[in-house]
Amino acid sequence: MGKKGVPEWLNSSLWSSGPSSTSVTGDQHIARYAAKPSPEIPNPRRLHLSKKVVNLVELRRLATQGIPDGAGIRPTVWKLLLGYLPNDRGLWASELAKKRSQYKAFKDELLVNPSEVTWRMDESAGLKTELLKGEGSGLLSRSEIVQGEHPLSLGKSSVWNQFFQDSEIIEQIDRDVKRTHPDMHFFSGDSSFAKSNQANPHYLCKLNPGIRYVQGMNEVLAPLFYVFRNDPDEDNAASAEADTFFCFVEVLSGFRDNFCQQLDNSVVGIRSTITKLSQLLRKHDEELWRHLEVTTKINPQFYAFRWITLLLTQEFNFADCLHIWDTLLSDPEGLRSETLLRVCCAMLILLRRRLLAGDFTSNLKLLQNYPPPTSATSCTSPTSCEGR
Amino acid sequence: MVLVLALGDLHIPHRASDLPTKFKSMLVPGKIQHIICTGNLCIKEIHDYLKSLCPDLHISRGEYDEDARYPESKTLTIGQFKLGVCHGHQVPGHPMGDLDSLAMLQRQLDVDILITGHTHQFKAYKHEGGVVINPGSATGAYSSITNDVNPSFVLMDIDGLRVVVYVYELIDGEVKVDKIDFKKTSTTASAH
Repeated sequence: MGKKGVPEWLNSSLWSSGPSSTSVTGDQHIARYAAKPSPEIPNPRRLHLSKKVVNLVELRRLATQGIPDGAGIRPTVWKLLLGYLPNDRGLWASELAKKRSQYKAFKDELLVNPSEVTWRMDESAGLKTELLKGEGSGLLSRSEIVQGEHPLSLGKSSVWNQFFQDSEIIEQIDRDVKRTHPDMHFFSGDSSFAKSNQANPHYLCKLNPGIRYVQGMNEVLAPLFYVFRNDPDEDNAASAEADTFFCFVEVLSGFRDNFCQQLDNSVVGIRSTITKLSQLLRKHDEELWRHLEVTTKINPQFYAFRWITLLLTQEFNFADCLHIWDTLLSDPEGLRSETLLRVCCAMLILLRRRLLAGDFTSNLKLLQNYPPPTSATSCTSPTSCEGR
Repeated sequence: MVLVLALGDLHIPHRASDLPTKFKSMLVPGKIQHIICTGNLCIKEIHDYLKSLCPDLHISRGEYDEDARYPESKTLTIGQFKLGVCHGHQVPGHPMGDLDSLAMLQRQLDVDILITGHTHQFKAYKHEGGVVINPGSATGAYSSITNDVNPSFVLMDIDGLRVVVYVYELIDGEVKVDKIDFKKTSTTASAH
């Protein structure tokens, strides 16, 4: 990639951001994409999925270019790409059953009723319960509380205290989850998104003590749940909650360090990731880099923070976001790789004409409200051309 | 799992200035679902404070309450239990011959658990299939009988047919918590 001038592939008119259809809602976009019979070849993908042992390398290669929407295979492809499903088809049924029951066990274990816990403690301590019968009177006997447990306890290890703290977090998550994609019927309507996912981020945090729930995790859940819930296979659709949880964990594990506050300034934290993006831009388009960071002094944190931590879910309409995720998830090096950064870099380069002409205010406005491209593949194709 | 706070006989500001600090630090909003107050708050500020802990507040009138609109008695159903509250100053013979008079009140109100005050002494006893609980005085205010009153209140955990009554008392500056455990035999109406 020459540093002078614009790379050849960027000159194609396919990628010029023309007048955008800003008023089209998420739902309409999805409908439009779903209705169009895909010109790309669904057959190789179906062929791969129907093999006894799926060739992951081939699958990744094809998925990078985007998975056709109408084919109903995205849920399965994503599960394969994230390693949720093994590549041997014969093992799918048993794996799924195992994972789904594991999830149920988590729920039972983590959503604890302190009343019941106290009761069990009492029973093992041999405390008796007074039974109220029709006759007899007298003072009710008092007993000592077991292990200092009582509902108003402020002790750190108290089951009751834990319960109330967890309830607060779940309430906060619930509020955020309910506000996810309010313009889309799937999320705001009577669907189970809110109910099924109010606790998923909470379980993740319980299982990873270094992470606290951060607002935005609900946005990462949304594409996963949407895709899995719309699986043409009824069983799979019904188990969307459990499948979403495991895949959510997998997705975030690549980016976990970005959510850990203590790592913010470290080599693996979010600041360092943003610096890498900056360096990547400089390598591919020094002129643009210089204009943005030196001339107009736009700190990449102002826009890249949200791009990276929320995996671009906020920058594109929902349908395009799913295509971008096809590419992100298909990277053979997994999510820890630089694919996300390369997509971000491409997003910047695609706007270079406008950015080079703009000042601090107009550029910042543009980057924080990224204009919809004419085709979702425009952002992802450059990255596969770039190579390593 | 429903948490119900029962307290009363605070007598603020006439006999006490406030709840004990150690009690206040434990009574935080968001944990309690219902409050039952036997009466004698006595002023609106205390009403507002209790409301801030929990919006579902039930108060019966004590003889010194400034707000004359509180009812003489009140009943409510929580889960499988019918509860009633009445301050108790109206009951003849109370606080002397309390058992029978209160039993009559309980039958009148037709409740499983009667919460009553006036004596400023914690007490919990069963009588003919029902339970009477007196949470005492939450501020330790003196009563007509005695000056030696330990501040106390009660928190009930109603879970199905079972109730665990946690008794919180301030004794020599420390909060002591005890519990009483009882359960009903069936889901039908109260024993009366």
